[in-house]
Amino acid sequence: MNPEAVALALVALVALATVVGIVLRATAGRVRRATDGTVIRARELPGVRGLGRGATLLQFSTEVCAPCTTTRRVLGGVAEAVSGVTHVDLDVTHRPDLASKFHIMSTPTTLILDRRGVVRARIGGAPRTADLRAELDRILAAA
Amino acid sequence: MSTETQKSAHALAAQPGQKGIDPRSPRFGAGITAVLLLVVVALGLSVPIGATVGQRVLEPGFILFALITLLFAWGAFAGVQRHPYGRIFRALIRPRLAPPTDLEDPIPPTFAQGVGFVITLVGVALHLIGVPYALVIAAGAAFVAAFLNSVFAYCLGCQIYLVLLRLGLLRRSSVAAG
Repeated sequence: MNPEAVALALVALVALATVVGIVLRATAGRVRRATDGTVIRARELPGVRGLGRGATLLQFSTEVCAPCTTTRRVLGGVAEAVSGVTHVDLDVTHRPDLASKFHIMSTPTTLILDRRGVVRARIGGAPRTADLRAELDRILAAA
Repeated sequence: MSTETQKSAHALAAQPGQKGIDPRSPRFGAGITAVLLLVVVALGLSVPIGATVGQRVLEPGFILFALITLLFAWGAFAGVQRHPYGRIFRALIRPRLAPPTDLEDPIPPTFAQGVGFVITLVGVALHLIGVPYALVIAAGAAFVAAFLNSVFAYCLGCQIYLVLLRLGLLRRSSVAAG
């Protein structure tokens, strides 16, 4: 390849990586509503005694996960602030079978359950507090 | 209401003596790696692949790529804290920066070094047996991961961790020990 073509290839590679990064940043933390009506019960979750009276923020974590800490902080803060909302953090590093059961591909993934345990929304990556609050308000109002 | 956590992590700011690493350190290292990988891609595209193993081993792009592979192995097996780029960061960069607001667990970047090691090792092997553009493709893929890590603080390698666990391809003890 001549030097001009090599330079062009390098520019294209950097541009590709930049676009991938921008797309990943835009999609991380986005709330996606679930409509398939999957129900999760407290007894399916190890160490969990009961779901929240209004809603449950069910976080899936692993040991190899930097944004899991941020997620823990955001969900914990929202659970403190909103009455009836419980935050459950499930580390599936030693229980990959649970990740398979609930179709979790990467961590952090957060499922928002309503008071009956129906999965109403799914968030991949660290959630944004404002978006999460808006979705919770909608779920709590509908209940 | 309340938070039920299996592992509590309420520390918002880095405290002296707290466990963890400055998250800017692996990002600094990934930046160096990304630049070096870009050089490998340029050399791989400029120089046609050698006809014999001896020629292929002596290609400058390959030598640099083999060095990057060894550095990934260093990070993966000794842990990111002991990586040479981490030492450079602590000696030259960190004294010029404000203290970090957060400390990061070293396990995710160590695992990512392992993913980088596997990808680059495959590139090394394929190049040595004479597969054209194996070096360029492996270096390009590793570049994207290193670039995302450095510029966007996004750990691409960490994303496949749970998938590998679910497939039973990973012994979690090997990572937890890192």
